[in-house]
Amino acid sequence: MKVRLVLLGGVAVALLPIAYLLSLALRPAGEVLNSSLLPDTVSLENFVKVFDTIELGTMLTNSWVSAVGAAVLAVVIATPAAYFTARHVRGDRLLTILLASYCAPPIVAIIPLFFLLRYAGLTNSLAGLVLVNGLAGVPVAAWLLDGFVRRIPVEIDEAAVIDGLSVASTLRKVILPLLWPGVVAALLVTFFLSYNDFLFAVYLAVTKESQTLTVGLSLFQGDRNVQFGQQAAAGLLGLAPVYVLALAAQRYLVGGLTTGATK
Amino acid sequence: MSHVDVVGLTKTYDDRAVVDDLSLTLPDGSLTVLVGPSGCGKSTTLRIVAGLESADGGTVSIGGRDVTAESPRTRDVAMVFQNYALYPHLSVAANIAFPLRNNGVAKDEAARRAREAADRVGITALLDRKPRQLSGGQQQRVAIARALVRTPKVFLFDEPLSNLDAKLRVELRSEIRRLQQESGITALYVTHDQEEAMTIADQLVVLDAGAIAQVGTPEELYRRPANTFVAAFIGSPSMNLLQGALRGGTFEGDGVRFGAPGADAAAVTLGVRPEDLLVTPSEHGEGTIEIVELLGPRYVFIVTAGAHRLTAVVEAAAVASWGKTPAPGDVVTVDVRADRVHLFDTASGRRRA
Repeated sequence: MKVRLVLLGGVAVALLPIAYLLSLALRPAGEVLNSSLLPDTVSLENFVKVFDTIELGTMLTNSWVSAVGAAVLAVVIATPAAYFTARHVRGDRLLTILLASYCAPPIVAIIPLFFLLRYAGLTNSLAGLVLVNGLAGVPVAAWLLDGFVRRIPVEIDEAAVIDGLSVASTLRKVILPLLWPGVVAALLVTFFLSYNDFLFAVYLAVTKESQTLTVGLSLFQGDRNVQFGQQAAAGLLGLAPVYVLALAAQRYLVGGLTTGATK
Repeated sequence: MSHVDVVGLTKTYDDRAVVDDLSLTLPDGSLTVLVGPSGCGKSTTLRIVAGLESADGGTVSIGGRDVTAESPRTRDVAMVFQNYALYPHLSVAANIAFPLRNNGVAKDEAARRAREAADRVGITALLDRKPRQLSGGQQQRVAIARALVRTPKVFLFDEPLSNLDAKLRVELRSEIRRLQQESGITALYVTHDQEEAMTIADQLVVLDAGAIAQVGTPEELYRRPANTFVAAFIGSPSMNLLQGALRGGTFEGDGVRFGAPGADAAAVTLGVRPEDLLVTPSEHGEGTIEIVELLGPRYVFIVTAGAHRLTAVVEAAAVASWGKTPAPGDVVTVDVRADRVHLFDTASGRRRA
C-alpha cells in the first residue's frame, strides 16, 4: 500500500507539467497570466485559433512524415546490420563502434550535415530530415534489434542454410518473421527520437513548408505578446497522438528496451 | 547414397587443436557414431562435415566429390539438431516441406512428400500444429521428418536425443536406427552417451582430445579396446583398471593378485569388466562390499580390495545361491575370469597384444 502511494506520487509529479499544459490550453487568453493552477473558465478557443496563428497542420504533417520516414529508413538499414552484429564472430565490436558514434554530441555534425544536404539540394526538405534522422537512428535501432536476434537460437539459421537458403533469404524467410516484435520496438523508438528531434530540424529545415512541430513551437510568437494558451494547445495536439501510440505499443516498447538492456 | 571421406581434418581454436589430423571414412549406407567426452571435438567434426564450420586443414568429400570449400547449401546434407531448430512461425507441415520448397519442388508435390515423411515418423496428426504446441519428443520427430523428406546424401545428427527424457531417448534412438536403415542413407551421429552409441552404430568412433582413439564395430570396441581411454569410456559400469606388475602369469598390484596370462612386465594396467570380476562370500576373503545396488536382474557391487575400489556386476540368480542378502560390510573373495582380462601398457595406455 505504501509502495503504491509512493508510486502514485511519482506519477503525479511526472504528469504535473502536462496537466498544467492542459490547464493553460483550456483557458481564454485573458486568464493565461493569472498563475492559478486551474482555469476559472474553460474554453476550447485556443485549439481553434492556433490553426490561424501558425501552420499547425503543416507542422504536424511534417513531423509525422519525417518521423515515420526516418523510422522506416533506420530499421531497413539496422535490421541486416543487427543480423550481422549478432551473428558474426566479431559483430560485437562493430556494434560498439556504431553505438559509440551515437554517444557523440549531435551538434558536432550539424555544420558538415548542413553543407552535405545543401550540396544534395535537400535543405529545407522532408527528404533531408528523413535522411538525417533516419541515419542518426540506425545505431539505436541496430542495438535494439541485435538483442532480439541474439534471442533466436543460431541453430535456426544453421538449419535454414542446410535446408538450402542463402544468408539473405535466411534473414528474409526465417529470421525476419521471428523478429517482428523487435522490428516494431525499433520502429517506435526511432519514430519517437525523430518526432522529438529539435536540433537537426532547426538547422536543416526552417522554411514554413518544411518546419516540424518542435521548430514551429519554438518560434511561436505573435507581434506583441506570446500566445501561451495557443502554444500549450499546439503542444498538446502534437503530444496526444504520440502518447496514444506509446500506450498502444507499450508491450513492444517495454520488451524492446529491456531486451537491449539485459543483452 | 554416398560414402564420406574425411582426410587429415584439423581445427584450432585459440591455439588449441579441437580436431587434430582426423581421418575417417563413412561407408555408404552405414551409420557411424562419434562418441567421446565433452570437448573431444565430435560436434566440431560433424559441423565441419555439414559445412557450418570451416576446417583449418584437411578435406571432406561426399560421394567422392571434394566439398571442403562448399557452403552447406550445396553439400546436400540434412541435419538434426540437439535443440530441434524448427521454424517456430511455420506449421509442422511447412517445416517439413521447407527444404523441398527451397530446392524448387512445387507446392503440391512438397506437401505430399511432407505428409509421407510425417507418416514415417508417426506425426501425421500434428501436421497443422505449430512447433510450440508440441512436446520435445514430437518436435524432434518433426526435425527428423524434415531431414528425411528430401533424401539427402548424408544425415547428420548432433546429439539429437540429449534434450529428451530417458524413456523417450531409448524409444527414439531405435526409431532413428530403423529410419536410417530403411532409407539406406549414410549417417554421422554425434553423442556423448556411450550406451546410445553402442546400440545404434554400425561403426563406432571414440574420440579423445580431437583424435581418434579407436574405430570399429561396437562389439570390437567392447571386446578389444585399443587403449585404456576406450576401455574406460565404453561399457557401463566402466571397466576396472588396476596398475601393477605381471610376473609368471600373475598380476600383482596394491594388495591384490589375479591370474592373468601374458608376458612379464614391470608396469601394466589390468582391465577387468565388471561382469568378469568374480565376487563370492567368504569369511577369509580379501575384499569388503562397500555399496550394493540392485538393478532388477543383476547386482552392482562396489568392493574394496587392497588399495582398489572395484565394480562388479553379478547376476541376481547367482547371488540367490549365497543364502543371504548381500549388504555393505560383507567380506568376499574377489577373483577375475583370467581368459577375459585386458592388459595395457601403463606408460602408453596401449593394449598389449
